[in-house]
Parts: sequence; structure tokens; C-alpha cells
Amino acid sequence: MLQIKDLDASIGGTEILRGLSLDVSAGEVHAIMGPNGSGKSTLAQVIAGHSDYEVTSGTVTFKGEDLLELEPEERAREGIFLGFQYPVEIPGVNNAILLREAVNAKRRHQGLDDVDAFEFLKLAREKMAVLGMDPQFLNRGVNEGFSGGEKKRNEILQMAMLEPSLAILDETDSGLDIDALRAVAEGINALRSPDRAIILVTHYQRVLDYVEPDHVHVLSDGRIARSGDKTLALELEDKGYDWVREAASA
Amino acid sequence: MPTEQENLEHLVNRRYEHGFVTDIATESLPPGLDEDVVRAISARKNEPEFMLDWRLRAFRMWREMDEPTWAHVHYPPIDFQAISYFAAPKSDEDRPKSLDEVDPKLLETYDKLGIPLHERARLAGVAVDAVFDSVSVATTFKEKLSEAGVIFCSFSEAVQEHPELVRKYLGSVVPQRDNFYAALNSAVFSDGSFVYVPKGVRCPMELSTYFRINAANTGQFERTLIVADEGSYVSYLEGCTAPMRDENQLHAAVVELVALGDAEIKYSTVQNWYPGDEQGKGGIYNFVTKRGDCRGANSKISWTQVETGSAITWKYPSCILRGDNSVGEFYSVAVTNNYQQADTGTKMIHIGKNTSSTIVSKGISAGRAQQAYRGLVRVMPQADGARNHTQCDSLLIGKECGAHTFPYMEIRNPGAKVEHEATTSKISANQLFYCRQRGISEEDAVNLIVNGFCKEVFKELPMEFAVEAQALLSVSLEGAVG
Amino acid sequence: MNSTALSFDALERAVAALPDNGLSALRRAALEQLRRDGLPGAREEDWKYTELSSLIEIANNWLDQGAALPAPSMRAAPDAIDATWIRIANGQIDDDSITGLPDGISVKRLSDTVPELAPAGRLGDFNIALLHDGLHISIGQDVTLQRPLGIHVCDEAGDDSVSQVRINIDVAPGSVASFVEYQVSEGEADLYSNSVINLAVADGARADYVRIQNRHKRHNQTSHLTVGLGKDARLRHTSFDLGGRLVRNDLVVDIAQPGAEADFGGLYLVGDGQHIDNHTRVDHRVGPAVSNQEYRGILDGKARGVWNGKAIVHEGADGTDAQQSNHNLLLSRNAEIDAKPELEIYADDVKCSHGTTVGQLDEAALFYLRTRGLSRRDARRMLTRAFAQATIGRTPVEQLHDFLAGAVDSRLRELMHEGDQ
Repeated sequence: MLQIKDLDASIGGTEILRGLSLDVSAGEVHAIMGPNGSGKSTLAQVIAGHSDYEVTSGTVTFKGEDLLELEPEERAREGIFLGFQYPVEIPGVNNAILLREAVNAKRRHQGLDDVDAFEFLKLAREKMAVLGMDPQFLNRGVNEGFSGGEKKRNEILQMAMLEPSLAILDETDSGLDIDALRAVAEGINALRSPDRAIILVTHYQRVLDYVEPDHVHVLSDGRIARSGDKTLALELEDKGYDWVREAASA
Repeated sequence: MPTEQENLEHLVNRRYEHGFVTDIATESLPPGLDEDVVRAISARKNEPEFMLDWRLRAFRMWREMDEPTWAHVHYPPIDFQAISYFAAPKSDEDRPKSLDEVDPKLLETYDKLGIPLHERARLAGVAVDAVFDSVSVATTFKEKLSEAGVIFCSFSEAVQEHPELVRKYLGSVVPQRDNFYAALNSAVFSDGSFVYVPKGVRCPMELSTYFRINAANTGQFERTLIVADEGSYVSYLEGCTAPMRDENQLHAAVVELVALGDAEIKYSTVQNWYPGDEQGKGGIYNFVTKRGDCRGANSKISWTQVETGSAITWKYPSCILRGDNSVGEFYSVAVTNNYQQADTGTKMIHIGKNTSSTIVSKGISAGRAQQAYRGLVRVMPQADGARNHTQCDSLLIGKECGAHTFPYMEIRNPGAKVEHEATTSKISANQLFYCRQRGISEEDAVNLIVNGFCKEVFKELPMEFAVEAQALLSVSLEGAVG
Repeated sequence: MNSTALSFDALERAVAALPDNGLSALRRAALEQLRRDGLPGAREEDWKYTELSSLIEIANNWLDQGAALPAPSMRAAPDAIDATWIRIANGQIDDDSITGLPDGISVKRLSDTVPELAPAGRLGDFNIALLHDGLHISIGQDVTLQRPLGIHVCDEAGDDSVSQVRINIDVAPGSVASFVEYQVSEGEADLYSNSVINLAVADGARADYVRIQNRHKRHNQTSHLTVGLGKDARLRHTSFDLGGRLVRNDLVVDIAQPGAEADFGGLYLVGDGQHIDNHTRVDHRVGPAVSNQEYRGILDGKARGVWNGKAIVHEGADGTDAQQSNHNLLLSRNAEIDAKPELEIYADDVKCSHGTTVGQLDEAALFYLRTRGLSRRDARRMLTRAFAQATIGRTPVEQLHDFLAGAVDSRLRELMHEGDQ
């Protein structure tokens, strides 16, 4: 589904990704771990198409298409969803309106009619119930005044409504208490399916107890220093990131 | 134990420490202004033809202009014919060639002012050009500067020695007809400082000028011109004092700064002209035009001022951000007390692309003083990527003073980001109590709070000036809390 | 002085030709005052950014041609606003609309009373000099109005014309009333409408006031609203400027009694060829009292917006809390905003602040919306709409929100469409 080859990317002239390669197939869950500053978030932003990041070399293809040629909204409509580490607050933009606009933008892209307003609300309320969200959230500004946990749940709600084929969740687990973490993990698991892939960007192993990954990669200095199955995450928890860095430089 | 109010009054009412008169013979022109006076000034200074023409053009413009009335200050009409437009210490006929030749009384004056020209200048590594009334007295460290190629001399000397530079840059930032007082200054300015820093030179020391008005009924009209050629850097300090006199004296200076490509000028002022007495009698009218032109790409001009003196201040050190990526800064602390009035601020004119400006203005008003911040941020249509941040805070001490804010924002580019914030507050009883509970005296607490309030500005001052500025502030405001 | 001077001879003829009623003496006095003072000129600080000469030209043309006010053709007020409507068309009062009003509202013509007309500057004198008639509206003591009282000002410019509106409103102690001022105009000729409204809110009373201006794109307006607040009185106000060519609105809030609270603000949407100027002044004469204002502007195309907010805290007004803010979105290269937040403070126990921003839409929010599949254009519209929503949201008369949302949406669509061209 997603092929990244020898990707170099920088922000403001500082090189962050240095020759990163990654293959993600439908049905898989990949966990990307690594210390702060290793380039995890940069990778997420580059895939989503943030203009502050400059891709200096390498390729990214998504479902066989050159992803780097697409605008952020085109990527989204093709099925890429980024769950932000720090979701922005947009006062005045009603959550329900954003959700509906987003769902319809994708439907139009697929040649479908706009969603029926009633059906849409019903669906949104169902999904919110699963995530343990108060339906009143729909009438508030996007992330406006939300707690950290509420913001992350809101990201998962959007993901659930948009049904992406590739979801990249950037530290969606950070700053959550155990109940919120469970709810978020359930939301992620509910989305797992043979035609969908998920990339979990995370600093800690904790979330992987709830969402079991097929592959675990450790990022160091802008490239993947080590890959393995879920046991790699446990090993990391045990030995720390220095272990990977030492191994990589050895 | 004195009450807070008494303490405050005690502090506010500390006497002006620099108010003495130096008893030396001065030679002045009789009061009055006409073309002959302009010619006489020019002739006394032995000026070339072009300077006289320039002055006469300015004089003719001035005659057609009206005194500005928009500032938030009030004063009786000034009789421009009652002012003497030139006063020089007698020794002017025979200009001192070195510090040794300077009238010892003058040197003593500087000692009293706390700027021992001779000693302290050397200790501090500061080159001082002292303007006494209207004539530049002595410039130290000339040789060391000339090794670096830096020209630092009195304006009169520059007219004689470097007429091509004067001709090229004089009036290029503040044209003669810019405003009423700038036109007046252009016609009658008597002396001032001139600085030229050649390409790529980092001026090896801080340059400094000390201004003092001594003679009675005299206006002081000095003119400063600083040119930083490509890639150069200079830091310039200016200090001002005047003796106590019952009548008001006029000071109408013009300062022009030119920063060419990649050049930087840092201009710091500690202004402590005589502010008048507790009843508002006497004091200097300080009507000054200061402007810097960031003419080249990547240039930077930074104004820092600490203003505690003058009966009335009318002053807006400004930056014209013409070069792409140029930077303008204005950091100001203004203290007004008793009957002082100040209308001061800055203008930032964004013309080049990606220009940025920062304005930090801290006003402290006590007694019956009235203080206004007046600032303009203008972003021209071509100034893509312009940025401005303005922070403008007022601190009120006492019930009878005023603090006013008049910012103008004129924005014509959709890529501009302009932010302006202003607050007005007083020193709170809670803050004071907190400090006192921790064992700090009330006076110290006030100083502490005021210094904290001004910190952002003080950190921009060169070290030895920062110390002087803080001392000046505490003298002006000791115990000042109601 | 203006480059264009008002033609006083023609004005004098027009004043003499007005119906002789209880206003005649006031008109003559105002004319004389105006002859001494003239109309505001661009060299004056308060008129620095707004030049009136094009309006004076319209006035001179109209005066020269006999200063006729065409018979009003009364249009219905918008159904979407549920209000009791008083109608004034081409400066003339619709008699039907001021009879049979709900209990608690009494309305008289100014010419039938012995009016006291508060000064409202030189445009106020111009207003009185040419005033056909005005209204005095009283809301009785301890009355709570169930529906807002609407003031529908409608002008129809078949030929060049100038119209005046003058209304005094008293809200008696303990009453709660809301008002909707709705100014619109039609017709292809030039028009200048000048309104002066005084609102006195007595002790313990509350007034909600919403001003909506949606004039034809070639018509001009100056408006002056003065609000006096009694002890513990409260004002909540928002304004919406959607249409018009040259528009200047002055809002003056006078706090002369302790405990008053004034909350006001507005939204101006300015497109090609429009010049919209909002000037506010709040006088805190005593404390404690609170004023809080927030204005927002969106400018696109060759648009000019002006906002000047002034808060004056007079000597002795301790316990004053005065906040001002102004935010502007500049969407086009040809647009200009001139913003001037002023504080004049003569007391020390005060809390005053202002904040002004000029900028663009938040890039992080734009990116976020695009990652959710919205086009850049739709994301921009959504964020622009959200920017405007802040003013709609603080509008006091809640039943107006839907109407305002619709009006703002449709104006924004036009504006951003003009901008896209």
C-alpha cells in the first residue's frame, strides 16, 4: 500500500530524515518507535504533506501513485489519515460541520452523493458512544478547550468517520490516562481490517499492549535502525533506546 | 513609620542632581531668528557654500510651517524670536586640540555630571564627544578610532573635513521640511556628532556623546548623523543633562541614522534634561526628530531609550525598513513625574520584503504627569512577509497622573502579521505587601517592581548605561507608591 | 477643512422649506452651529482615515436640486427577524408602524414633544438641520419586552438623495429590552443616509442592541449611536456591516454611574470599493464599571477598513475595567486596514488593556483541515467563517443568530468570490 524508498527530508534546512525506507501492506499494523528527535513526527507530517517539510530525495508511493505529487487534501481523499500529536484548536469551526465536510469531500472524490444529514448524525453519535464521548462535543469548536485526552479521542472519532485506508497515528497514546488509552485503542482496533493499514507512531510500548502490531521499527537519526515483530518493542522497553543507537553505530 | 503616600512623595520629590550652572564666559548671538542669524551661524562655523544654501532653504521652509499641535501635551506658545540660536563657550575661538586644552571648568562640569570625560572614558573604553550648549567640545579616542577607519568627530569638523559625506547623507533621512522642529534645526543647528563606519568595520568601542545645555535663554539644536557602511557595526550612546532654570529652554535636535546593506546601528539614549521643579516651573522642551533608515538589505537599527527628564518630550525614534530582511527595534522606558509631559513612541515603516520590527514601550507616570505612547506601524503593499510585534505597558503611580496610548496601524499587505498589545496597571498593594512580608523595604520593593517592569528594555542597554539608567530610575521614583 | 465645502445657501433654503413644526427652532440653531463649525475634515484626528467629501458632493447635488425626499414606499421588514417593527423610509416615519405597539412601549414624534436633542458632533447638527421628524421611544418601568423592537431604516434612491434619521430611546429603570436596527437601501442613484440614535438605559435596566447594515453597494451611511448607562445598567451590543460604499459608524458609550457594564463590538465585511469605518468611544466617568469591546474585520478585494476604539478613564473613575480588542483578516493585496486602539487614562486603580492583530488564517488550522480532505479554498472559507462566528456568537439577541449567520455567509461568499477573481 505504502512504499517509502530512501527518503530524505528536512525542515528549515535541517535534515531530519536520512534515507528512510518502509513498506506497509494492507491489513498490517506497524509501530514506529524511537527516541525524541529521531524523526517519527517528521515522517508522519511528510506523509500527510505538510509544506514546512521539504523532501530532498527519495520516493513515496501510495497505492501505486506518487504521493509526493499530491496536495494534503488529495492525500486525505485517497485515504490517508493523520492523527495529530498536537491537534490544533479551531475556535468557531463546529466539530459536526468539519466532520460532515470531510466525509462529503471524500464521498465527492469517490463520485458519491453527500451523506444524508440525519444518517450522518446518527452514525457520528454511535461512534462517539463507542469512544465514550459526550454527544455535546459535536456542537463545540474543533478541539476548542478540549483536554488532551478529549483531543485524542476526537482524532479517533474523525478517523472512524473517514474510514481511511492508511491511518498514521502520531503519538495518539501520549498523555492519556488508562481509560482514555483503552477507549482510543478500541477505536483503533475497531478499524483494523484486511484492506486497511495502520502506522502507530509512539514513544512507549504501553499502547502496543492494546493494539498488537505486526511489525515494529525503531527510528534513529532519521532512518530505520532496526525492525522486528512485537517482541522488539518489549526488548526496547527493557534495554532502552541507547541500545538501538549503539547497535546502529557499531 | 511613614505611610506609603509619604514615602512616595519623598521619593518623587528628590531634587534634580544635575542642576548646576557652569560659570564660564559664553558668547551668544542675540535672541531672534531671521536669515541673517542663519548666515551668521554658518559664517561663524566657516561653512562651505552648500551648507549655507541648505540652511537657508530649511529656514524658508520653516517660515511657512505651523507648529504641530496634535501631540497630547500642553504648553504656552513658544516665542521663537526670544531664543538665542547660538551659544558657545568663549574658548571656541581657539578650539582645544586635545583634552589638556579643554577649559578645566568644563571638565569639572562633566565630573559633576558623573562622566569624567578623561578618566572614565578611558576606563570604560568609551569615546566621548561632549556637546556643551551648542558646540562640540572634545572628542576622545580619536586616534584609536581612526586606525580602524572610523570617523567620529563633531559635526562642524565633519563639514570641514568630510564635506562629501555630509553632503551625501545630511537630510537624506530627515529632510528639511519633515516637520516644524526638524526644519528649524536644519536652519540653525550649531553642532553635534558625526560618525562614519567604513565597509566591513566593526567599530572597536562604544561611541558616546554627552549633551548639556548651560546658557540661559538658549536653544540647543544639535544634529547627529551616523552612517554605517555595508557590513559594519556601531553602538552609539547619548546622554543629556541641563542645569535648573526657571524658564523653559528649547532643545530641538535631529538624529539621522543610515544603515547600508548588512550594517547594524545600535543607538542608546539616557535622557535626563532638567524636568522642571515640583510646581512644573522651568525645564527643557525636548522636541526631537530621530529617524533611522535601514537602506540596505539585512540591515538593522535598534533604538533604546531611557527618558526621565525634560518638562515636555516630543520624540519618536523611527525606522524606515527599506532594505529586504531589515530589522527595526524600539525599546523605551519613559518616566514622568510632577508636571512632566511626554508624548513619545516610534514609527516603523515596512517597505522591503520580510522586514520585521519590535516595539517594547514601558511608561511610568507619577505625580501629575501626563504620558502618552504614540506609535505608527505602517506596512506598504510591497512589504511581503512583514512582521511587527508591539508591547506597550503603562504603570501608574498616584491618582493624578495620566497614561495614554495612541497606536496607529496602517496595514496594506495581506501577508503582514501585526500584533499590538497594551496594558495599563498600577503597582498593586498586594505586590508591595508580598515583598514587605519577605522583609524588603517599601522603597526597594517599588524599585524592584519598576525594574522588573522595565527589564525587557534595560537588557538592551550597554552595561554601563544600564547601571546608570537603573540608578536614574530609582532616583526619580524612590518611594513612589500611593 | 474639506476640499469640498457644504453649500450653505442651498442648505439654508432646504431647511426653510421643511414643514414648520416643533423642530423648526432647533433646525435653525443647528444650521447656524454648522455654519460656524463646518463638517469634519480629513485633517482632524477623528477623520484621518475617512474622507467625507464624496458625501458632501452628494448632499450638495441633492440640495441644489431642491432637496426633495421622495414619498416613502414602505417595504416590509425581513420576515426572518421576529420583531415589532418601526419603519422609517427615506427619512420619513411610517405612521402605521408606530401605532398599536405592545404594552410597555410608547412612541411619540419628536415634533410633538419638546425634544432635547443631545449633541452628536457636526454630523449631528447636519442631522437636526435637515430632520423631517424623529421619534422618541420609551420603554416603561420594569417592563420586559418579549420581542425585540425593530427599527427598519430603508432608503430608496430613485434620484440622488440624502436622508436623516433621529431617534431617542429611553429604557426606564428595571426594564429589559432588545432592539434591532436594520439599515438597508435600494436604487441606482447616489444616496447618503445619516442617522443619530440616543439610547438612555436607566438604573438597573438592560438594553440589548443589534445594528445590521446591509446597504446597496453604492450607498453611503454615517451613523451615530450614543448610549448612556445608569447605575448598574447594562448594554450588550453588536453590529454587522455587510454592505454600503462609504460607511462611518460612531458608537459612544457614556458611563456616568457606578456598576454599569457595557459589552459591545461588531463585524465588518469589506469588499471591493467599500470603505467601512467604525469609531467607538467609551467614557468611564465613575467606577467601578466594566467595558469590553471586540471588533472583527474581514477585508478582501480593494477594500478599506478602519477601526478606532477609544477608552477614556476619567479622573476618579477607580475600579474601571476597560478591555478592547480588534482582529483583522486581510485577504487581498489591495485591502487596507487602519486600526487605532486608544487608551486615555487619568485614574490609577484601573485595569485596561487592548490587543489588535492583523494577519491571515492560521496555517496550522488550514493544514489540519486539508488533511481531513477539505480543499484549500474550502478550508479558507471555513476558517474565515469561524472568524466571523465569534461576533455572531456574542450577539445578545439569540433569535437573530440564524438570520445573521445566513447574512454573513452570503456576504462572505460574495466577498471571497470577488477575492478569487
